[in-house]
Amino acid sequence: MDDLEMQTSSSNPQLSVVVIALCKGIIDRETDHSLWQSLLTLQQPVREYVKTLGLEMILDEAEGYAFLRTREVTADEVQLPRLIARRQLSFHVSLLLALLREKIAESDASGGELRVIVSRDEILEMIRVFMPEGSNEVRLIDQVDSYINQVVKMGFARHLKGSEKMLELHRIIKSFVDAQWLAEFDQRLEEYRKQLMPKSGDA
Amino acid sequence: MLESQALTHEVLESLSKSHPAWRLLRADSAPLVISFLHRIFIVPNLRDIAQSDLQEALEDELFALRERLGTDCYPRQGLEYLNDWADNAQGWLRKFYPPNSDEPHYDLTPATEKGIRWLAGLTERHFIGTESRLLTLFDLLQQIADGSETDPKRRIAELRKKRRDIDNEIKQIQAGELSLLDETALKDRFQQFVMMANELLSDFREVEQNFRTLDRRVRERIVLWEGGKGELLQDILNACDDISDSDQGKSFRAFWDFLMSSSRQEELTALLDKVMALPPIAESKPNTRLRRVHYDWLEAGEHTQRTVAQLSGQLRRFLDDKAWLENKRIIEILHHIKSNAREITHQPPKNWNMNMDDVKLDIVLPMERPLYQPPLQAVITSLSLEMGDEDTDAEALFSQVVVDKNHLKHTLAQALLQQSQVSLAELLQTHPLQHGLAELMVWLQIASEQPRCMIDEQKSEKVQWRTIQGLVKQATLPHVLFVR
Repeated sequence: MDDLEMQTSSSNPQLSVVVIALCKGIIDRETDHSLWQSLLTLQQPVREYVKTLGLEMILDEAEGYAFLRTREVTADEVQLPRLIARRQLSFHVSLLLALLREKIAESDASGGELRVIVSRDEILEMIRVFMPEGSNEVRLIDQVDSYINQVVKMGFARHLKGSEKMLELHRIIKSFVDAQWLAEFDQRLEEYRKQLMPKSGDA
Repeated sequence: MLESQALTHEVLESLSKSHPAWRLLRADSAPLVISFLHRIFIVPNLRDIAQSDLQEALEDELFALRERLGTDCYPRQGLEYLNDWADNAQGWLRKFYPPNSDEPHYDLTPATEKGIRWLAGLTERHFIGTESRLLTLFDLLQQIADGSETDPKRRIAELRKKRRDIDNEIKQIQAGELSLLDETALKDRFQQFVMMANELLSDFREVEQNFRTLDRRVRERIVLWEGGKGELLQDILNACDDISDSDQGKSFRAFWDFLMSSSRQEELTALLDKVMALPPIAESKPNTRLRRVHYDWLEAGEHTQRTVAQLSGQLRRFLDDKAWLENKRIIEILHHIKSNAREITHQPPKNWNMNMDDVKLDIVLPMERPLYQPPLQAVITSLSLEMGDEDTDAEALFSQVVVDKNHLKHTLAQALLQQSQVSLAELLQTHPLQHGLAELMVWLQIASEQPRCMIDEQKSEKVQWRTIQGLVKQATLPHVLFVR
């Protein structure tokens, strides 16, 4: 622990910079190279530090990003109150996230480009088949826009500068929309469908 | 495959429909597309241009064309054309987002380049050197035969023969018989050099394209893989080698190693300088870019090198064993989710309880909130406008002081030509302030922007100027010293 004391802010301002940046959101190798480098060298003290707050740092060196997450406690540890807020997602936003995850998988499988960039229109086409049909096209577009904005607000995508209709997907989606999360989604959807259509459900 | 496909009727028919170069040649707008792309990409050997720059160049071109040919030719906007040309249906440009840029960039596709080069070859050359090409062919055959000869005796015999030839040549020169290439032979060889140098340059695009295709093929194989984990790893290892060990990869690496050595660079520079200075070649006025063609190769090669490094990095990530297995499962689940979601389209669930953690901590401290401030009440009194009868001088509106910063910079540059350093006070003695304080402020702004300017806050100096009314004013400011 003494080592940690030595590493705290008074002796190492860089540690504070890294921890504060992590608290504020994702650290990305591409957008902030120097911060990324300090994070790599300070990995251990950062981990120790955030552990006190009941958090853990997820660092993906291959993809080039890092973020904080609530640490799962083991049975004999004290359950700490959550520091990171949990958002409740509407059905369509969940679905959009799943579709974006698929988009990343597709892009990886076809190779070539490093970045995954989709247009708003593409997203609209992707999700419209899952939305109730209606005659009001404008309303549909507004709705999808609001879903997109929520995804952007969560930090999973960003509008490109200069062309607001283009979105770059952050590869961090892979960490959040993982197999476990999708399996849960799938299970709930299945239950709901069975409830809605009891006859065709067990076919 | 070393040789190209046989040109049967079927092959040609499908090519004419699907090959971008053929489509380009048949397009109504071909003269515009080809002349523009040739000027932008091929002449300056450019491989990457931002959308805004390309768009601007195209708008200029369109404007000039409309001036000449009438306003109704090429009616669309520049950007529309670019999007059309980069569309998969045409495939003339590759549009991509480079790292760290939010603006799309463009490059030619190899097919377009081929089409353009072919057209360039249509314009007649004065004469076609056949001798040099025959010699090159002969050399190549010799290299293949020598390089594959396994019998040591024959190899030695071949080397002896070469030595005899060299000895003979030395004797001839010693005897004063210097055989020189005549003018035609020189031109013949030079022409071939130009042709091959350009071809090499254009080949790089295709090399890059080939690497991309290889990468995609490897990925496809991995996605469709159905075997076990051990076999998968085996396959992955093979796949990783596929790119660097393909014929394309090996040949490119050999080329790169050769070109990268600095002694080769110097040799090439020296040779090119010497050859370009030969009278028959200098007379034919070759393109001066040729003199630095090896740098162009280097640049193009570097670009390819970067692409390859990027591709193999991404591939490694994609091959990450754990991620791959999860990806597979995710695709299955997604499939299921989508088919279920399709069925309930008309009644999406209202109470939906999926959660997701934030990626950041939401810390809002009460004391950080700004205190309440009563909003400013704007008092609006309505007055009806009336015609004024006063006669004021509007001169003040027009006689605003404008300080020409460029003029001041020019003055400074002039002064620094004569002396290596000059203080602001000295400068203002020879060039008095015309606009008083405003001009002095601009001088200080220039001082803060100038990289070689020292401002010494310890020392101070006085500056004087005369206003229009004839008053003498004075200001004290830190010592400002401009250095050349």
